[in-house]
Amino acid sequence: MRKNIFSRIDFVIIILTVFLLTAGLTAVYSAVHAPGLAKNFYFTKQITFAIVGFGIMLFIAFLPFKLIERSAYFIYAASILLLLLVPLIGVKGFGAERWLAIGSFKLQPSELAKLASVLAAARYLSKPDTDINRWKHILITLAIILLPFVLIARQPDLGTSLVFLALLIPILFWAGMRWFIIFVFVSPILTAVFAFNFWAFLIWMLVIAAILFISRQKYSVLIFVFLLHIAVGLTTPVLWSQLRPYQQKRILTFANPEADPKGAGYQIIQSKTAIGSGGIWGKGFLHGSQTQLKFLPAQHTDFIFSVIGEEFGFFGIGLIMSLFVLLFLYLLYLAANLRSVFSGISLIGITTILAFHVIINIGMTVGLAPVTGLPLPFISYGGSFLLSVLSMMGFALNFSMNRFKN
Amino acid sequence: MRLPDKKTLEKRQLIYSALLILFFLFILSGFIRLQVTHKNIYVQKSISNSIRKIEIYPVRGLIRDNKGNILVDNRPSFAAALIPKVVSDSTIQVLSQLFNIASDKIKKQLRKDYGFRPVIIARDINQEQLAFLEENRLAFPGIVTIVESKRFYPEGIRSPHIFGRVGEVTPKEQLFNPNLKTGDLTGKSGLEKGYNSELKGTKGVTYARVDAYGKEIGMYDINRNVPPVHGSDLYLCMDYKLQKFAESLFQDKRGALVAIDTRSGGILALVSKPDYNPADLSGKIDPEIWNQLLHDENHPLYSRAIQSTYPPGSTYKLVAAIAALQEGIITPQWTAFCPGWFKLGRKTIHCWNTAGHGRVNLKQAIKGSCNVFFYQLGLKIGLNIWEKYSRMFGFGSRTGIDIPNENKGLVPSTAYFNKRFGVNGWTRGNLANLAIGQGELLTTPLQIAQFAMILANKGVYNKPHLVDHIYQYSTKKNINFPAPTKYVNGVSDSIYHFVRDGMHEVVNGGTGWRAKVPGIDMAGKTGSAQNPHGETHAWFMGFAPYDIPEVAISVIVENGGGGGAVAAPIARKFLEMYFYGKIIPRPVIPKNTIQTEIQQPLKIPDFKILEPLPVSTWGDSL
Repeated sequence: MRKNIFSRIDFVIIILTVFLLTAGLTAVYSAVHAPGLAKNFYFTKQITFAIVGFGIMLFIAFLPFKLIERSAYFIYAASILLLLLVPLIGVKGFGAERWLAIGSFKLQPSELAKLASVLAAARYLSKPDTDINRWKHILITLAIILLPFVLIARQPDLGTSLVFLALLIPILFWAGMRWFIIFVFVSPILTAVFAFNFWAFLIWMLVIAAILFISRQKYSVLIFVFLLHIAVGLTTPVLWSQLRPYQQKRILTFANPEADPKGAGYQIIQSKTAIGSGGIWGKGFLHGSQTQLKFLPAQHTDFIFSVIGEEFGFFGIGLIMSLFVLLFLYLLYLAANLRSVFSGISLIGITTILAFHVIINIGMTVGLAPVTGLPLPFISYGGSFLLSVLSMMGFALNFSMNRFKN
Repeated sequence: MRLPDKKTLEKRQLIYSALLILFFLFILSGFIRLQVTHKNIYVQKSISNSIRKIEIYPVRGLIRDNKGNILVDNRPSFAAALIPKVVSDSTIQVLSQLFNIASDKIKKQLRKDYGFRPVIIARDINQEQLAFLEENRLAFPGIVTIVESKRFYPEGIRSPHIFGRVGEVTPKEQLFNPNLKTGDLTGKSGLEKGYNSELKGTKGVTYARVDAYGKEIGMYDINRNVPPVHGSDLYLCMDYKLQKFAESLFQDKRGALVAIDTRSGGILALVSKPDYNPADLSGKIDPEIWNQLLHDENHPLYSRAIQSTYPPGSTYKLVAAIAALQEGIITPQWTAFCPGWFKLGRKTIHCWNTAGHGRVNLKQAIKGSCNVFFYQLGLKIGLNIWEKYSRMFGFGSRTGIDIPNENKGLVPSTAYFNKRFGVNGWTRGNLANLAIGQGELLTTPLQIAQFAMILANKGVYNKPHLVDHIYQYSTKKNINFPAPTKYVNGVSDSIYHFVRDGMHEVVNGGTGWRAKVPGIDMAGKTGSAQNPHGETHAWFMGFAPYDIPEVAISVIVENGGGGGAVAAPIARKFLEMYFYGKIIPRPVIPKNTIQTEIQQPLKIPDFKILEPLPVSTWGDSL
């Protein structure tokens, strides 16, 4: 088993990472390109971060495996502490406190918190006596993940906080939670949505009844769950009407930004215009009129995928999305082949974080997902986030290299 | 927990992988929709995003006289405009101080337009303001100066009532013509309004590439640009030298003169005084001047020739004469006795000649303008026939001249009197009054001139019009406007002959002798219309030459006094200028030829002085 340490490096991860980073740097170059500008400041900065990040990734890859598992709680505690510090000494940006300034370097504690929560939850669930189907253990797992969620949502940074909610189900699922309990968790959210239309609600209730009937649970439990759904369905419209009009409007705009063409919708309309006008083969590198004439808002950060869509067309889009899908499917395959419970659950968490970012970000650029301000991993401009993503890849590499350890 | 067995883990991996793929396929479908199926829509959107259509204003057509002399020209004027997306509050402050406009007002104007289209804040800015803006261009981003054109009137050109004025489109005008855009210039009055669609030309278009900040970064596709088309030039029927001379005849007078070419209906002169300098209302209007014009009690903004209505006085006796003869109510031999007064019911009305005209027939009554004769005639004719003939000669309706805001005057009818005074509230006295052109009857000087043209041509005439033809720049061709020929139906030639003969005598020894142009046989009729504002309005209408008429003319001097003394000489001078190009030293008409109307010896004026003759107190007829 013990061969040369470099022979254990997972080159699938390395190659996919390099490809995605290259695509990202190309897109950033185009997005911040300005004719007549001698130096591409953003591009230089991004390439520096990419190199540094790559170094960090390799560094993490070679960390002792057991050290990671042992320090999981410590990292988690540190990240919670940093999150608590943000409201006290944080720097404001975009109307919310998200940054901690350390000298000239600005740190975003929420980036660290994502990884830390994953590691801490994995550490807790990997304890031999933890049973995810016991209420006490479920609650502790929920607490580990929801504590940073609450702190980040209060900043407020809704987009990032949603990442934690998205983490919940895959982690619990991977840890072996029974699908009935997962159903009990997830279905009330759908019930709340369907409650706004009588017929949809009625059909949904029949579906729930059918699922409950098949589940073969105790009658008392079945009745309780069913009554819970009825209660959620009845109270949601009441709660909705209790909201102030501006609150309702904010929620509706979040769900459908194109209803507000001068505000949030402006970005979506411009992004769709850029992507649509790119066609199948794109307008060519540095030849996208939307991009080069700066019609796209945040085109080097949140809307970087629109740049690719405009300049490289459906072809470029398909290529990048294939890279992402390949990466995620490989990470899932890896997670199923790890001997360690801790690293398996951690890898599922990391995959979920990345996939959630990718789906929400790309979906946003074509108007299929709400505008949340989540950047695109590997591609979007932004040092802090790139370092965070590459660190996660570092852990993935580490788990891969130690796949036979438990 | 402990590590589950391999199969369980692979099942979980499969479920999760399938879910992920589903999500990605869902999003990929979004890209297919945008980039494959709906590509064209977004390509178009992206082009309209970055390509800005810039309208180029055409040059407004010129107005020229029949010799081609330019009467109304264009000169560049500069406007200060703001680009709403770029402009800052401090820039607005600076502009507000520079042009003395409240900054709130500017902001309100900016709010209407959204984006990068420049919004004009101040038009026709002066040289200092322009220099200031150009020098500080970099300090105030968002300010642009735009070259426009404004009307320019060469030296010596006045006639504001003919040319009219150009101004910014109002929301009301946009309602009627949706093609007009805010900020466009359009004709507001006169020829500028009447011929706006010909004068305005066609806007051109260029396409420029702009970035998201609205900055132009070059031309788009030169082949797509459309150059503007110069507005058509108007060529008037008049020789402006003659018009200018006609205007000079009204120095210090209030009144109007209309001269029509009887052969075509073309207007030779259209004078309304007092007037104003058209340059004052071109480009930026000084509010002080505007207020002054608006509140001037002489109403200089009013075009008296077509907008003001007056009782026509004795000139209107001709209508009664024609009506009576045509309807067979009297024969030319019918006579009436004028003792100098006439008793109608309990009222006694006097002839202008209190000594009386004696027994007069129709021709003598026209020549001497006997009121008593026409009182009696009017009563014989009756209101309905009188109204019918009035309308036949174009009174009570617009002539259709090619400038807007013409007044149609008023021809009272039985229905009108019943409505105004009640069914029994009016008497034959009203009728008698109408026969001598007094009372409720109102006419414009243009209508009187048209009447003179009808009599000159024995019933056939053309619609009065100012514009002879236009020159179209797009086709490089002259385009003539057909002036529809009209005719009066139902008046026989012999009657025209009789009335024309009467008018001939008016000028040749009658009340209108002062209108006589030496060497030109001509005809006319004077009038002195009583009015509530003081002295009578002095009227003269006529045509010349008598046999082959060329010019029909009407002259009114408000509160000028007698028509023969005040209006007739103006007509004479105009006609002398028309026929000879100069004023002719007057051969004195022998005193005895005017004995029939002037009882007291007339002090013959010194004809070396050619300026308006002294107004005689009662030297004329009503």
